[in-house]
This record gives sequence, structure tokens and C-alpha cells, in this order.
Amino acid sequence: MKTKLLYTLLIAVTLLIGACKPKFDVPDPDKGSMDASRFVAIGSSMTAGFSDGALYYEGQQTSFVNILAEQMKAVGGGEFTTPYVSENSAGFALIPNNTTNVAAKFKLGYKTDCKNVSSLSPVRLSATENYNVFSTNIYSSGPFKNMGVPDAKSFHITYAGYGNSVATGGYYNPYFERMASNKVSASVLSDALDQNPTFFSLCIGINDALSYALAGGAADSLTTQARFDANIDNIVNQLTANGAKGVIGNIPDVTKFPFFTTIPYNNLTLDQTQANSLNTVYTPIDSTVFPNVFKAGANNFVIYDSQFSIGIRPMYEGELIVLTTPLDSVKCNSLGSLNPFHNKDILTLNEIQSIRTAIAGYNAKLQAVAQAKGLAYVDMNAFFNTVNTGVVYNGVSVNAQFVKGGAFSLDGLNLNPIGNALLANEFIKAINKTYNSTILQVDAIKYRGTIFP
Amino acid sequence: MSYKKLTWLCLCIMPMLSWAQGFQVNLQGQKQQGMGGAGTACMQDASSLFFNPGGASFVQGTSINLGVTPTIARGLFLDDNTHQLYKTKDPVGTPFAAYGLFSLKDSNNLKVGLAVYTPFGSTVDWEDKWAGRFALTHLQLQAIFIQPTLSYQISPKWGVGAGFIYSYGKVNLQKDIPLIDATGNYGHAELSGKANGFGYNVGIYYKPTEKLSIGLTYRSKVNMSVKAGQATFNVPSAVKDNFPDGKFKATLPLPNVGTLGFAYKANSKLDFALDINYVGWKAYDTLSFDYENNTPTLVDTKSARKYKNTFAFRGGAQYKVTPHFAARLGLAYGLSPVQNGYVTPETPDANRINYTAGLGYEFGKHLRVDVSFLFTHLNRKDTNLETNLSGTYKTNVCAPGIAVSYNF
Repeated sequence: MKTKLLYTLLIAVTLLIGACKPKFDVPDPDKGSMDASRFVAIGSSMTAGFSDGALYYEGQQTSFVNILAEQMKAVGGGEFTTPYVSENSAGFALIPNNTTNVAAKFKLGYKTDCKNVSSLSPVRLSATENYNVFSTNIYSSGPFKNMGVPDAKSFHITYAGYGNSVATGGYYNPYFERMASNKVSASVLSDALDQNPTFFSLCIGINDALSYALAGGAADSLTTQARFDANIDNIVNQLTANGAKGVIGNIPDVTKFPFFTTIPYNNLTLDQTQANSLNTVYTPIDSTVFPNVFKAGANNFVIYDSQFSIGIRPMYEGELIVLTTPLDSVKCNSLGSLNPFHNKDILTLNEIQSIRTAIAGYNAKLQAVAQAKGLAYVDMNAFFNTVNTGVVYNGVSVNAQFVKGGAFSLDGLNLNPIGNALLANEFIKAINKTYNSTILQVDAIKYRGTIFP
Repeated sequence: MSYKKLTWLCLCIMPMLSWAQGFQVNLQGQKQQGMGGAGTACMQDASSLFFNPGGASFVQGTSINLGVTPTIARGLFLDDNTHQLYKTKDPVGTPFAAYGLFSLKDSNNLKVGLAVYTPFGSTVDWEDKWAGRFALTHLQLQAIFIQPTLSYQISPKWGVGAGFIYSYGKVNLQKDIPLIDATGNYGHAELSGKANGFGYNVGIYYKPTEKLSIGLTYRSKVNMSVKAGQATFNVPSAVKDNFPDGKFKATLPLPNVGTLGFAYKANSKLDFALDINYVGWKAYDTLSFDYENNTPTLVDTKSARKYKNTFAFRGGAQYKVTPHFAARLGLAYGLSPVQNGYVTPETPDANRINYTAGLGYEFGKHLRVDVSFLFTHLNRKDTNLETNLSGTYKTNVCAPGIAVSYNF
């Protein structure tokens, strides 16, 4: 009897649990006035999913356009073909002036410096490919909806033969050589247009400023405004000729990327003895430029500057040092003190100003074109600015601080998956606003930040 | 003892639950529960020790009352931006109440009582990898109030009473930490500890006519303080130094409650009851955790909760179908103490209407069994200012309860 009663109670409770369930009526996503069936993404490293200093499978999967394409499937989006790197690959990237080997991706590991101090630091994995990976064309698994080509500039997009390693004098991009329909005759745009896109994303122009910045302003050059404008007009006119809709992203202020902000201009740490000995070297050279400037504690690094008659000066506040600067040489070989930094390692105030002016000009053009063509427009610069100050998403804080901040990958230039997911949400918001669609955002916390050992 | 019995017993002895206003649980008497939770002026049995210590002396004879309310609270969260739907797990809690009220031999007017009940509690366990995992994955909050009480009948019209409250409880709070290791596992934090606190419960009972009675009670705030909780962090080894395990301190205020109640006996069969609660939720302004081992990463936290004081209105009726059989119906309206921008996955609270019903039957002279049922639906849309978690919480609460009283 008692057992029976207990049974009855347990069954009653179980039934009640079932009956007590709340319900939600959730409307299906709607495509509004856009057509997602053939979505092609045109851009450079960020569109390609370049991350952690290399092109690799997970990075490609979690590029902001791949995330966007996944969300667009619910409103009729098709397969978003991507020139994937092998899943087991350690990734690859070009090494300057090297046509034999490639660089694999970074992961966070422990590195022992010249003073035998071990600390967490990005470490490159051993490469699983060599340079042949570029000449091994994979178009047979295309055509590719993800037409992101690392390092591409605005005027490269329409360049026929951008994948041609043999031609001299023109532009050649090994990443495009790998994915082009025809190395000799295809351009990024022609391969995109061949797929008759109904919707496109265009995020081009960052390298028009970044390549110059990465070279410390010592090589490469900023694309002129006139050239940029003409190329953007050309690209967008062709993309929209058949009535395709699309979204344009503008260009973030690259000088705020962790690649440039991680090593402070005054990170030369000295004790009194070291300061005294530097003063005895530098003050006699020019007591106006170096009036006993060195002291115990934090000091401004010393750089070469041809504008000064003595060819050297202390760095100014606001000037930037590239992340690739060999810190071992700073610690143990007096780089940045007795051996001044070279211009290629530094963005001076003038260089920073010209980069920012160029980007502002590019962005004005991009916004005007988006407006004139009725395209969705994403202020990526504003997005990156919010990342710089810190974003809290579903209880997770991410910011632009190198490694710890979580938003940027270990190259300090491209985003981590969580950063890409947040960026993809900005694109979704802009598309929904322009085309009255209701594409759902992604839960950005399902995408990772920095991986710690 | 059979396995099934054991299972049932396990359910019974876990005093916890639910989403009643904030984390207040208002399930302390089956008769009152059937009448919307009103009972401050309506002296039913030994459960008056909770509802109005001043009126307990008006309860005839010695009374023992044991009750339990298995409470099923099922929660859903719909993320506004992604339309992803997440649910809570393990939704059964069992608030209980046990009362004993005794006459002293040398006095007809003075009664002593002991009440053991669970007026506050919350258990919420969100599904794995849900959108708010970095805000909260699991919260268990239990508080048992033990209240020895004296109740004195001054005159046939007036009664006063006071009880001392010792509160004992446990808290266990868990959330994920957004630091991922190479195998794809996120970090996890668990804060757990024992808490205790003190308070009191006083009341006045006034019965101006045979038909009307009035009650006024005040249950004080009880600060549940965790003095030596244990904080455990499971994070990737490279950052473990930033998250040292160790002790923590925290305090959770259980608010004061003032109640004005009326009861009206329309005739020998029909009773009405009405309670107005004023709950001092403003006490829950901040949830702070003070860690013994601080690092630049692990700093003491102060999360704004900014609860506000609220009212609740509870009313109900009892109809005696036969002299031994009573049917009850009630309604309660509670205002949420949680302001917009401060809704958290711990207590996804909202204004609510409680629908209640109950039955009671007397087996002979001494024994009585009462059952009740409560249903509440909560619906709250919010974007939390601290976490930016944005979405709609829906919760259904179904609480069937049963109590046995013995009077002699």
C-alpha cells in the first residue's frame, strides 16, 4: 500500500514536470529583400580567415564571412565553398624573400629568452607544407564562394593573372595562385563574377594601408585616394551589374591593432648604472636631443631618424613599435638603446598620421559607394574601436590586448574566432537593417578566444 | 528501505527551490497555500508560528503540522539575438515546513512553539554550454529557519508573539571561465560554503469581532554570511597562478517582510483571507565576493543587484463543503524586486500571478490532511547591464503540496 502510494506520487511528479514546461513561439528567420542563394565574399586576410599568422583550417572555418554564410543558410543561403587548407595542416604563410619554405601558425607556448627567463609567448609550429602548397592549385574543389585572398589590396582584385608566378612586372599572389580558376587569366573579381553572385561582401582596402604600416613606413606605400576610388567603383559596379545586393565593410585604424600597440615606446627599462652609462654615450653626441634623458626606470627607446642631423633621437610618446621586433636583442644586445631601432621597426608620428588620413579617405569612399548603391555598410572601424576599449558579450569580456584580451589572434593583426563572431554579428545587423531581413546572430561565446596551454 | 522509498526520501529532505519573488519561497502552510498564501489574520493551525506568532496562541490545544511542497520550476531562456533556446535542468525542489505548538500546563494563555521552515532558496541548473554559462551555470541556495516562539493571548481579542530565528544554509555557485585550453575545455569556477544568520519574527493578532480578525507581523532581515567558503578554479595550467584556490567571504541578505492581514468569516462555512506583504528587498543591493587570495586577475567582485522593495497581495477563500471537508481557492499578485537591467540567470524574476487551490479533510477529531496546488508563470525580457546577456526568461512553477496536522 505504502509502496503503491510512493509510486503514484513519483509518477504524478513526473507527469507534472512534463506539464509544467513553458513554451516559446519563435518566428523563422526571413531574408527580406536580399537573396542569399549565391553569396560570394571578396576581401583579403580577414575574409580568408587568416589567423594566428597563417592560413589554416580552423581559422578559415571561423572567418567572419564563413560564420555569416552559415547564418545565411537559414534564409536560403547555399553551400559556402572555401579553399580549405587540410584539416591536419599546421597552416602556412609566406616568409618574406623565401620561395622554399612556409611559416606555420602560432600557438601559445613557453619561450626562454636570452636571460634564461621562460615565459608565455606565441611560438610558431613546425610547418607541415613547403612552398609547393601555393602552386598546387585546388580549383577543382571550387569554385570558391570565399574569395578572400590574404595580402590583397584594392587594385589587386581586378588584376587578371594575379595568380601567375611566372609573369614579371605585374602583381602575383601565391594564395590566389592556389585557388584561381586560371593562374594566368583570372582575377579575384572574375572568379567571383563567374559564380553570378546574388549577394556579396566586400572588405577590401585594409592592405592599402596595412602593408605600409607593417613595413614600418619604410617600404611599400599607401594607395593614393584616386587609385583607391577608381578601383572600388570598378569592383562595385561589376558586382552590382546584375542586380546583386551586398554589404561593404570599411577599414579599421590598423595602428590600433595589438601588432603595433603591444610594445610601448618607453619600454626601455634601466637601472641607474645603465642610465648613467647611456647618458655618457648620448649626451655628448647632442645635448639638445639627449640632455641626460636616461634615468632609472622606464625610458623612451632610441631610434634612427634621418630627419635629425645626428640621425638618431629618442622615441616620442604615441609612436609605435612593431610586434616582430626581436625582444631578445632589446634585452641582451642593446637594441633600442645603444643600437637604435631602425625605421622599419617603428611607426613615427608622421607615418601614423598619414596612415590614418589615408584610411579616413578610403572609408569616406566606401561609405559613399555603399550609400549610392543602396548596399549595407558596416563601420568596421567603429567595431574595432569598441574592441579596443573592451566588449562584454554574454558575460565574456574581450578586448584588443595582445594574448590576454582574447579578441585578436596571436599575430596581433587578425581576429580570433570570438572576435570574428562578434564582427559577423555586426554584418548581420547591417544586412538586416538594410534589407529588412531577420538573419539570426551567432552566439559569439561558442567561438574561442586565445588558447592557453 | 526499498530503493524507491529512498529516492522519495531524497527528494523530501532537500530543502530548496525556486523562483518565488526574488528567491523568496512562500510555501509554508498548505491551508494558506490553498488560499493564495494569505494567513496572517487567519489562525489555522501550528503553521501560524510562521504566519503570525501573535495569533498562534489562539490556536486550540497542541498542534503539530508537517508539510512538504515538491516544487517543479522549469525555466527557458531565449537569446534575443540568436534565438537559441536553453533550459534549466533538475527542476524539482522541496520546501518543507514543520511546526509544533504546545500549551504550557500552568497557563492557558501562553503557548510555546517551534517552527522549522525554508522561506528562501533557489536552485537553478542551466543546461551545458548555454549562452549565459560565463554568468552562471549552477546556483544552489538553501536556508533553513529554526524559530522557537512564544505566543501570548492577552485577552480574547488580542494576542502577541515573538520568535527568534536561527538560520542555517548552504550556497553553491558555479560558472564557466572564458579561458580555453588546447583540448577545447573552458575553465570553471565553483564557490561553495556554509552560511548562517540570526533574526526574529514578531506579530500582533487582533480579533475585534467574531467575524473579523486582523494580523500585523514583521519578520526581520537575516544576513546569511559565508565566513569561510571555498573557491575552486579549474583553468588552463598556464593561467592557474592567476586563479588560486582559496577561501572567500560573502553575505546574502534575506530581506525583512512586513505583513498586514485580514480574515473575515462570512458564515460558518465561508472564510476569506487577505495579506499584504511589504518585502525589504532593497537590502539586496550588491552581491560581493571577497577572496582571500587576490591576484590581478582574481579581484574581489561587487555585482550590482539593486533589488527594490516590493509588495505582494495574497487573497483567498475557504469553503467548508461538509464539517470535515474544506475546499480552497486563492490568487496572489507579486511585484518583482528585480529592476530592468539587473535580471540574472540566478533569479530570472518577474511580476507574477499565483493561482492556487487546496483541499482539506479531517479524519476524526485529531488528524487532518491538507493538500494544495500552486501554478505561476513568469515571463521576463531583459538585457543585463553587467553581462549584456539579452533575452527572455520564461518559467513555469507547479507546486503541489501536502501537510499532515495533528491536534490534541
